[in-house]
Amino acid sequence: MMRQAAMALVVRDIRLLWRRRGDALQPALFALLVVVLFALALGGEARALERVAAPVLWVAVLLAGLLALDTLFRGDAEDGSLEQWMLAPVPLSWLVLVRTFMHWATTALPLLVATPLLGELLHLPRAQLPVLLASLALGTPLLSLLGAVVAALTVGMRRSGILVALLALPLYVPVLVFGAGAVALAAQGQDALAPLLYLGAGLVLALVLAPLAAAAAIRIALS
Amino acid sequence: MSYQNYVIAAYAVFFVVLAWDFVAPRIGIARELRAAKLRAARKQARTAPDGSNELSRQTAE
Amino acid sequence: MHPLVRWFHQLGSPPYFDRFAARWAPVSYVLALVVMAYGLWAALFQVPADYQQGDSFRILYIHVPSAWMSLFVFGLMAFYAAIALIWRIKLCEILAMACAAPGAAFTLITLATGSIWGKPMWGTWWDWDPRLTTELILLFLYFGVIGLYNAIEDRRAAARAAGLLAIVGVALLPVIRYSVVWWNSLHQGQTISLMGGSKMDDSMLPPLFAMIVATKLWFIGSLLARARADNLRREAGKDWVLRLSQGTPSQGRQSKDTLTQVKDRAP
Repeated sequence: MMRQAAMALVVRDIRLLWRRRGDALQPALFALLVVVLFALALGGEARALERVAAPVLWVAVLLAGLLALDTLFRGDAEDGSLEQWMLAPVPLSWLVLVRTFMHWATTALPLLVATPLLGELLHLPRAQLPVLLASLALGTPLLSLLGAVVAALTVGMRRSGILVALLALPLYVPVLVFGAGAVALAAQGQDALAPLLYLGAGLVLALVLAPLAAAAAIRIALS
Repeated sequence: MSYQNYVIAAYAVFFVVLAWDFVAPRIGIARELRAAKLRAARKQARTAPDGSNELSRQTAE
Repeated sequence: MHPLVRWFHQLGSPPYFDRFAARWAPVSYVLALVVMAYGLWAALFQVPADYQQGDSFRILYIHVPSAWMSLFVFGLMAFYAAIALIWRIKLCEILAMACAAPGAAFTLITLATGSIWGKPMWGTWWDWDPRLTTELILLFLYFGVIGLYNAIEDRRAAARAAGLLAIVGVALLPVIRYSVVWWNSLHQGQTISLMGGSKMDDSMLPPLFAMIVATKLWFIGSLLARARADNLRREAGKDWVLRLSQGTPSQGRQSKDTLTQVKDRAP
């Protein structure tokens, strides 16, 4: 039953994505814009950029994810699917988890693919790229899960833009700290395993707890 | 080095913030009670003219 | 029924709570001011100056109690929110949301006094010290709760949503704190302690205890006042609010609630 529901949701989301293929590129475009702005503001000189390349990329990916959060539940809330989810015979938290996974796959994965390219624009030292990708691979799902809780709290609100950012950023801080910190350690030539493990542990916890919290929030918002 | 100005500034912040914390709910309570008084007055004004007990379309506010 | 249990249930009645809060908030404020008067006088004039930090350490008597209150109130807010979410008790929704503003106020005091204290000590108005950084994030969490509560029309759903956020915040606060401490050790080297190396002498403690008690009493007063305001707002259409606003005395101890009436009538 749960697998069927998950497959149905996945197929639906892929179909919806396919019909609006362009939308999948928007987070990546936004990250690119952020990178360009930083490069312009910092003067474009290679030596200045390569010191801040990894942290800037982390912030760009984080902000792009924050903007994309709006599309997580909005479509389903507007056409009534969310209420159908609440009535479904499968746990609401399961549906939330599947939806969040698809959202991550369609918004954050393109970002991950684009990261090496964006890194080149900022003269990211090659040695930092693997750790950066690892930290993003662990961190972006975590950001999506935490973001799902915030999106669920504000679902149905029309003008929730800044409020979502205000609510999400304190929750994002540990992820950013460990993610960017991992790359900072790698930049110093040290072993970056500890912060990556923290991210992994956080991800495992969030996989279990975040959907539950988000489901509770959806129930509150649609009650 | 004279620390006096810093100490004064810190204590001033303390007093100002607590003063706001004291005043804000009082303003809220006063506003709610005033709104309720106006509501009661409007309700009085509405039911006064005909004074009958007949069902009317007016809903109690 | 045990009188304490009955009183607890009676508090759930909005008019009863209004009378209770109207009566006890001023008491709490006055007690707070009395204790604060002693605490501040002792902090400013009685305690000798610290040999390392001079007079600036007197800021501690405001900074530390405020910092503890900022954390304590956040925990209390999450506690009330949990009760409100699990048992759907309206009063706890009100109390949880009433905690947010005073908590934010204490956080603001902590940040401002910490910054003002930091200037003569570290030479800078701000330092990305783990404690100040965590306190700043705590302020954002408070603003988030307040913002979310004000953004939703239905008061009950708003309180439950903001309460859920408070619970998530409380769960994540240790994580945030730990991550910032880790980050600090990574980038900033040793943490600069606000107290320097000096241990607190016994003679310096009484004003601190007084201020801790005083801020708690002040918070209780503020909590009751704000809860009263929110209660009135939620119950705006009800008759008892209309009567109260028209100056019919809140009937204080003269009116008897149904439970006591029944009890009195029983042989």
